[in-house]
Order: sequence, then structure tokens, then C-alpha cells
Amino acid sequence: MRKLRKFEYAAPRSLAEAVALLREQTGETSLLAGGTDLLVTMKQGKLTPQYVIDIKDIPGLDSLTYDPQGGLRIGPLVTMQQLVTCLSVQQHFPLLSEGALATAVPQIRNRATVAGNLCNASPAADMAPPLIAAGASLKLIGPQGERMVPVEGFFTAPFATVLEEDEILAEIAVPSLPRGSGSCYQWLPKTTVVDETLVGAAVVITLDRDGACQDARIGLGSVAPTPLRARQAEEVLRGHRVVNGTVEEAARVAAGESVPRSRAEYRREMVQVMVEEALRRAVERAQQA
Amino acid sequence: MSAVRTRDYATVGKSVPRVDAATKVRGEAAFLDDMSLPGMLYGKVLRSRFAHARILSIDTSEAEKLPGVKAVVTGKDLPVIHGESFVDEPFLALGKVRYMGEAVAAVAAVDEVTAEAALDLIRVEYEELPALFDPQEAMKPGAPLIHEAINTYTHPPIIEPVPDSNICNHFQLVAGDVDQGFREADLIFEDTFTTPMQQHCSLETHGTIAQVDTAGKITLWTTNDSPYRCRKEVADALKIPMTHVRVIALYIGGNFGGKGGLKAEPATIALALKVRNRPVKIMFSREEEFTSSLVRHPSVSHIKTGVMKDGRIVARQVTTIWDTGAYAEKGPTVSRLSGVSAAGPYQIPNVKVDGYVVYTNKQVAGACRGYGGPQVCWAYESQMDMIAAKLGMDPLELRLKNGHNEGDIHASGQQLYSVGLKECLGKAAREIGWGQPKAGPYRGKGISFMERAIKTPFASAAFVKVNEDATIEVLSSTTEVGQGSETILCQVAAEELGVPLEWVSKAMPDTTVTPFDASTTSSRSTFHMGNAVRMAAADAKEQILQMAGEVLEASPEDLEVREGRVSVKGVPERGLGIAEVLRRRFGGQATVLGRGFFYPGDPNSAAYFSLDSAFWIYAAQAAEVEVNPKTGQVTVLKLVGAHDAGVAIHPQNCEEQIRGSLAMGLGFTLFENLQVREGKTVNPSFMDYRMPSMLDMPEVVPIVIEMAHEHGPFGAKGVGEPGLVATAPAIANAVYDAVGVRIKDLPITPDKVLAALREKAAQQKG
Amino acid sequence: MKQPITFTVNGEVHQLEVETHKTLLDTLREDLCLTGAKEGCDAGDCGVCTIILDGRAVNPCLILAVEARGKEITTIEGLAQGEQLHPLQEAFIQHGAVQCGFCSPGMILTAKALLADNPQPTAQEVKQAMAGNLCRCTGYESIVQAILGAAPQLAGR
Repeated sequence: MRKLRKFEYAAPRSLAEAVALLREQTGETSLLAGGTDLLVTMKQGKLTPQYVIDIKDIPGLDSLTYDPQGGLRIGPLVTMQQLVTCLSVQQHFPLLSEGALATAVPQIRNRATVAGNLCNASPAADMAPPLIAAGASLKLIGPQGERMVPVEGFFTAPFATVLEEDEILAEIAVPSLPRGSGSCYQWLPKTTVVDETLVGAAVVITLDRDGACQDARIGLGSVAPTPLRARQAEEVLRGHRVVNGTVEEAARVAAGESVPRSRAEYRREMVQVMVEEALRRAVERAQQA
Repeated sequence: MSAVRTRDYATVGKSVPRVDAATKVRGEAAFLDDMSLPGMLYGKVLRSRFAHARILSIDTSEAEKLPGVKAVVTGKDLPVIHGESFVDEPFLALGKVRYMGEAVAAVAAVDEVTAEAALDLIRVEYEELPALFDPQEAMKPGAPLIHEAINTYTHPPIIEPVPDSNICNHFQLVAGDVDQGFREADLIFEDTFTTPMQQHCSLETHGTIAQVDTAGKITLWTTNDSPYRCRKEVADALKIPMTHVRVIALYIGGNFGGKGGLKAEPATIALALKVRNRPVKIMFSREEEFTSSLVRHPSVSHIKTGVMKDGRIVARQVTTIWDTGAYAEKGPTVSRLSGVSAAGPYQIPNVKVDGYVVYTNKQVAGACRGYGGPQVCWAYESQMDMIAAKLGMDPLELRLKNGHNEGDIHASGQQLYSVGLKECLGKAAREIGWGQPKAGPYRGKGISFMERAIKTPFASAAFVKVNEDATIEVLSSTTEVGQGSETILCQVAAEELGVPLEWVSKAMPDTTVTPFDASTTSSRSTFHMGNAVRMAAADAKEQILQMAGEVLEASPEDLEVREGRVSVKGVPERGLGIAEVLRRRFGGQATVLGRGFFYPGDPNSAAYFSLDSAFWIYAAQAAEVEVNPKTGQVTVLKLVGAHDAGVAIHPQNCEEQIRGSLAMGLGFTLFENLQVREGKTVNPSFMDYRMPSMLDMPEVVPIVIEMAHEHGPFGAKGVGEPGLVATAPAIANAVYDAVGVRIKDLPITPDKVLAALREKAAQQKG
Repeated sequence: MKQPITFTVNGEVHQLEVETHKTLLDTLREDLCLTGAKEGCDAGDCGVCTIILDGRAVNPCLILAVEARGKEITTIEGLAQGEQLHPLQEAFIQHGAVQCGFCSPGMILTAKALLADNPQPTAQEVKQAMAGNLCRCTGYESIVQAILGAAPQLAGR
């Protein structure tokens, strides 16, 4: 850990300007939003950008809107704390509030952005599993224009994403959960309550009128090089009645899809426990809905 | 020993607002990093990239050329070594490095960024040497020597290194004949317990500002907890008179034993001596705290106990291996002081304790709250419950049966007085609801208790100066590290003198002005410095009464002082305020200076841990936990700490000390593990080394028991350290009570609990 | 590179030229001599540097000084009015919630931001709001009690 080294700083006033700056700069460039990951990475010497582009002066990027048709639109400057306190999110996407609360330090939540959490791409990123489970897609803007990427396809390796050098994550779009859906994010910390996530399991389950599982999406965090979607576990549930047996089986399969590096045995066991708990809670919420 | 009636006192026994609280809540209290001097330079340290290596060359030429760099130093600039128990540590590496994180060179520059950039330009060539990370390996005959010159190091007589080895101290305590005891015993228990590397984690890191004046005298403002000890270590290392070193303390942001010994001082002094005309400041980063300051000794304890069927312990043998890291620092005395109590607070006729302090190529281990107590207690109090389980006895009954009583002779030969041990245990057990039916299938309760000695004999001196306006300065070198010493010493002075507390302030420790104090450690300050201050206040009062006698035309024996006013006993109208008394004698220019000096024991003794403990510390703890059988997580629901403080001069402060140490104990039991792999610290940050947050805290009940000690000031003893000695076994015992698994290696992680539950289930099936 | 910025600290407007790589924490401590905010880890893990920025508790060690332009900042020095301490400061003293004092400024400011948002918190809500403020001395309970004790006085204001 050391003090920050010198860099050039710019605060563009539009996304286009930001993209242009990214394109122009020949040296290492970093985008600055909340700064809670970037500044630590810079102080650790892992990143030594020559240019820092602060996007906080760009108007409109902090918008957080919801409507039943369009779903939830999360701007790149929306903080984790906004997801915690926004009533629409609490009501319609509780797993997103829960994901944000997994960052237990309020000072960090007050600055850290949801987009930043994804772009930093830690294997333990708490917003990833819930957004995967919610079927979110990301709008990336670059010199070539826009493209949409599903969240589960965004991460390529620990701390690496599909973002090109001159692209910016401009919006996170979360479709409204279908009628009959319930969601939940369950996690275990590494040590203390405030610690990083050891195992995170996010679930969105949609039940049809007979109580059978119409659809299930499971996002897992901190148990693989990137946040992952537990597709095989989802298959166990899809189209079947949701009974103890299926829930346990799905949890078991999800554990099998995990490839944790450290504390591997314990983590795999905990994937099972967390997925089971998340499923039960999500089913409860679905039944209440 | 009955409690002293503190309600008859004016301020002693009262939880007054701490005298330093207002300045601290205002953010005005000055800590080292808040200090800036004109022309001050910023220092940074280059640290070793290898755990064990010879230094072939160091090229600082590029670093010296960097604009803004004013000095670069290596061991060659100041080839001196220092140490308290063992003089074995260089200011900057000399010829070789012994741990990753050791200081190899240092730079002073106009700002921190420049200093850090200069470090990048220093080229060091190393020749790697085989490194030792396991003390049990390092102890073996034939292991490579980490300190080739171990036979030549100077040390006090009570330290006993093993020649030509990595064992810098072997402590042994023998009472009776353990082999005979084991032969007599009905049952033998043999177990091994381990504790990991952990750290104090004071929120303020280590730091020093060094300034060398034109005459070559060095002034240090530093976070060191003991200015006199610091001064001696520096003066001895530099071979200069003590008058050439001045050590000043400010408020210290947490200590817990981590801020003793020289840490930031050596590199800062080396830079300041080279620069000469400008002061230099070094503040450790949090990473440097973890890699290069001080840690708690990792330990391995083998404990063998012989027990009769009725629960009487007849023999106990404990062998503890202390992983002391690259330099001895306080390792030898940690082993010695805790070794004295390693058999536990029990009356056992046959005891043998061996403590081996072993060098390894890792960061230095030393004093850490409890001073070895937590490690030995982890072993003896965990095993007690294993014994109780086997005998089918209540763990409380087993402890009461064997525990020390007033007047018992300890295995060390010392007779024990003011033994609040069983009272502590009884109160802790009652508070946790011992014996009540379980509130749930995965709930459990555990108890533990401890006793420990304090470092003896060590002296404390104090002056009490009375200003012309009758305000009082307490001149004492005890540092205020958060423990409340400033307030307590002011209370003692105010009480003894008979003046309002508001009239009294304590000067910042400054070796030029405040007299000798051995150290602010070992829970010794209230007892030792409290006594010294009390004596000094009594001396000052005597002088005031003499003067007042002349003024009031009365005999001093007939006078008393109350609320700052001297008057004839029984005739309050016939009196004067102290300031008025002073004004009427010597034109108001009298210098009233009271002196106090306290040395617990024979004045002819050799000092330095050579004598029986001035007083013993007793405490008991109890825990209630709930274990999650699916995740293995242990949730501590309630922690009780019952501590014998002698007499609580400031009851709230005593309770707060207990609360704080229980929180630390919780961390050490469940969360904290500073991991070093092949010499590299894996988790040197608060992100990856987690101490408890507010959300991790259970219900905590501190209980202060008062068994007044006849030699303590107003009967007081000490309370700062014992708070976490017995926490880990109380929690482990509760886990056993809850789910029947015994964890012997700290920390108690969910992984270990779950694995143990699986194993237990498998065994039950098979 | 240097940039001119203007921001308000404890009600006072400051115009500074700051290096863009300097953190807000270092600027407050070194350029404005407001040393109440301490450096404990420089990485946002301990909370001893906590200040209030536009009403929210944040860690200035993770904020560049230039990011603070146009913002309103409250540091610990802004709480007392001369001799008169803020109710939170008084409560910390009364409840014995100050030992070494290194975490105290950050604790008090986080609590102030909490109570502005939630004037009558439960003990659990206090703990959740203070989860990012580490203390090694007190064991936290006296701090929780101090905050709960100060709340009614602040609600009345």
C-alpha cells in the first residue's frame, strides 16, 4: 500500500466525451465513479493509470427508475445505498437490495456504484449473482456505438470483463420479474459479518398457478473465477413441482457447478446450504406474491 | 481481604468523566501523525523481499538523485543493534535479512510520494538462504541458524538461550516430581493446542518523528508505550549518554503491547542523523503494521495432566513452543511470565513447565495483551473441560475443587494473596446461568478462569508539582494509550492531596522532565505508578502543610486539606485556600515538588523479572454460544468477564477495559489469523484480517470484583490485560457443550466446526 | 497535475489548488490542518477517517480532493460550538465511550449522519450504521449506548 502516484485527471460532461477521452488516451486509463475499488487498487500498485476519467459530472447517470413494463433501469452512478433504500427495489427486486446490503459498510455503500461493482469484476462481487438471477443486461457504449450484454456473459476472468478499452458501462437493465416470482440473495461472509462474501447465492423463482416452477435463475458468487449462473441447478427445478426433494437436489447440483479455489470443500458445501436457503425464501416470497 | 470503602473518597471510586475525553471527542487530541514540525521530511522504509537472505549489495545512487530526496540510509550508515531482553536486532539490516518485511534501507524526502518513488530506485542484491517457518523445525538440532552470533548476544541473567541453536530462551519451572505424579494418577490426559499469529490492530499505526539538534542530541516524538525503556534501548544501541536522547509521548491511539520496543524509531533516527538539519517523520502504513511491526506469538502447547478419579489434579506438564519470529524482542519474557502460570490457577503438587522461544524467518512476535497468557490458558482451560467430560464432573465443580485459594503456595514458590479467583468464577458462572437447562439444541455454555503474574520488580517514579495558583501537575512517564491512566493518576493525586480533580492535570511523558517509569505495560501502571503518584502527592501535601502551619500558626499535624483548602481539623473557618498559603510564603514563589518512588520488593534485587509478582491478577469468563449445524458458524450470544481489580479507582473505566478485552478475545477466538506463507504475509490489511465490528458483538457483561490489595494505591491492582486470557477456552468449552466437538486450534472457524461435526457423525455411525 | 477547487468545510468556504492524486483525507489533514479525521488504513476498511459529505458518511481516504469540489463537508471540528459540545460528543464522554480516542471522531460523525437520517434508531440499526467504524478499545457497547442516549436530544432540536 502506498500513496497515489500522479495522474492526469479529467471530468467530462457527457458520455460521448468520456468515450472520446478513453479513445484518445494512449496510456493506461481508468474510469472513476465511486472510487472505492479503484483507489484501493491504485494504492496497492496493481493499477497505475496515467489518466483518470471521472464520470460523476455527467448528468443523468445517477438515475434509478422503475416501471412495471420497462423494469428497473440502473444508471452507472447509482450507488449501492440507493439500491438499499429505494422502495421500488425493495418491493419488486428484494434480492438486489439484499445484494447491496452484503456490502455491510455504509461508508462504502454511500460511494460505491452498482456498475463499479460489476466492472471491478471481483469473483466475490455482490451485485453480480443477484443481477444474474434477475436476468439483467448491460448496455455498453463505445466509439462503435451501443451493445447489450447479459450480465452472466460480462465476466471473463477474475477482475476482467468483456469491456473494450474505450467502452463504458452505461446502464443496467433489469426486466420486471414475471408474475408469480420470488427472489432472494443469501450469503455467508468470510469471517466477520462485515467481511467479503465467502459464498453468495441469488435466486429468482417463478411459480405457475399450480405452484410448479415455471422458471428459475440461480446466480452464484465467490465460488468460481467469475460470478456464474448455475444452469444445471436451474434445470432441476424448471418444469417441476417445488418440493423439498427438488430444492435439495437443485442445491446439490449447484454445489457441483462451483469451482472454488480456497476453502474449497467448505465453500462447496456452503453453496448447497445457501442455495437451499435462498430457494426456500424465494419460494415463500413467490407464494406470497 | 475486604473491599475498601471507596464511597468515602472524594474522587477515587467514582466514574468521573475522563480527563482526556473532551479533547478526544473534539478531534483535538494530538496523536503522532497530527504533529508537524517546520522543515519536516517524510521517511519511508524499503523492506526485504526475502524471508532469509544475505545482502550482497545495496545501490542507493539512483534514489539519492531523485529530486526531493534528502537522505538515503542503509545499515552501513548506522550499524547498531538493539533489543530489550536480547540485543539482537539491527536498526537497519546488517549483512542479512531475517524476515520479509525487515527494514533494509530508508529514504527521507519532501513528501511521501517522492519517498516511495525513491524506494523503487534502490537496488538490492540478495543471496537467498534456506528459511525456517515452523518453530518445531527450527528447534531441531542441525537446523540452519537464523542468528549465527546467538552465543555472543548480551542479555539479562534470567534469559537462557540454548547455544548454537534457534532457541533464544528456554524457561523451565519445576515443582515436585511430575513423573511420580503421573505414576500415581488414575487417568492421564495428553493434548496439543495451537494458536495462530495474530495482531493487536491498534487503529493508530506505529510512528516516530526524530530530530537531531546542532549538538547532536536526538529528540523523539513517538508512539512507543514506554519512553524510558525506549530511551534506554536507543542510548544503549548508539552508545551515547541518556541525556543525548529525549523521548516524548503524545496520546497513543491504542497499544495492547504492540508499541513497546523500537519499531519506527530505528529508521527514523538513522535518517535524522544523516539529514541533521531537519526532523524526519515515519508513519507505518497499515500493511507495514501487519508485515513489520509486532505480532502475537503463534504457539504450540503440549499439555499432559494426571488426574485422580475424584477430580484432583496431581500432576501437570506443559511444554510450549513460542514462535518468536526473526528477533527475540520480548519473546523470552513472554514465555517466562506466562510459563509461571502455564499450569493454570490450580493447586497442583507436581508441575513441570518448559517454554521454548524459537526464532523463525517471520515477523517479530512480542508483547500482546495477555503476554502469553491467552496461549497457555487456551491449553489448560480447554483440557480442563475435556477432563471434566471424561470424569463425568461438572466443569465448574472441577475448577472449584482444584483452584487456588487465599494463601496457597504457587508452583513458583510464591504465596498468593488477594486471591479473587473463585469469587470471579462464581460470579461469571451465575451470570451465564450455569446449570440452567439449555435454551436450544445447539446452544451451550462454557466457563474458564485464569491467574497471572505481572513483571516484577520494575519501578515507577512520579513528581507532583504544585503551581503558584494551586493547580497541580502530575509528572509521570506513564503513557495514555486509551486505558485511562491519565485520569486515574489525576484521581489518585487529587484524592491524596485533597484538591478538586479539575485542578489536576498530567503532563505528557517526556524523559527530560517526567521521572523514571519502567513501562506502561503488564497492567502495572495503576499499581506501581498509582503508588508513586500517591506518594508524591503525599510528599507535596506535607510541604504545603508545613507552609500552611507557618501561615495559620498551627502544627501541620492539626491541619487537613479538603477541596483545595487547608484548615485546622474540626475548625474549618480557620483555614486558607492552597493558593493563598503559597502566596503568603516566599512571595508566592515556593516550588512545591513532591516525589514518589515505588519499587515492589527488595531494593537490592536485580530487577527485570527476577522477583515474585508484585500482585497476581485473577479473572474468570463465561460464554454462551449457538452453533449452526449446517454452516458450522459459532454465534456467541453472551460473554461474561469477571475480573478482580483490587479496588476500582474508576469503576466505569474498569468495566470498559473488560468490555474491550472481551471484544478482542472474541476476535482472537473466532476470526483473527495473520497468515504467512513461505515468509510472505498473505492478509496484511483490515480487508483480509478481520477484527470484530460492532455487528459481531454479543451481549457482554463485565463484572468488577474488588478484593483490595494492601499494597495497591487505595487497594487497586490492574485490569487491562487479563480480559482476553480466558476468552477462547470459554467459547471453545461452550461449543463443546453445544455440539460435542472439541476444537484445539484457533481460530474456531466454521470450516473446522463443520468438519468436526462430520467426523463425530461418522464415528457415531461406525 | 493541480486543479483549483472550492468546497465548504464546517460551513466555511475554501478555495484550494490541489494535486489531483491527493486524497480528500490528506488534503483535510495537511492543507486545512483539520487533523480530527485520522488515517487508520488508507483503504476504507476501518472508518477512522469518516467525514460527512453532502449529508452522507464517507471515507475520505478513498475520495480524491478534486472529487470534493462544490461539496459540503462536516468534520469533527465542526460539531462543537465553542465551549458547547455537540450532544453526541457529550454522550460519548458520559457513557465512557472514549478510550484511546482514535476512532472517536469517525464514530461521532457516522452517528451524526445516522441520526439525521433516522432520529430514533434501534440498537440494531445503530450497529448496522456503524458497522464500518472499527474500535479496538471499547468493545462498542458504550458507543451504542452513547448514540442511543444522544438521539432524543438531537430529535428535539
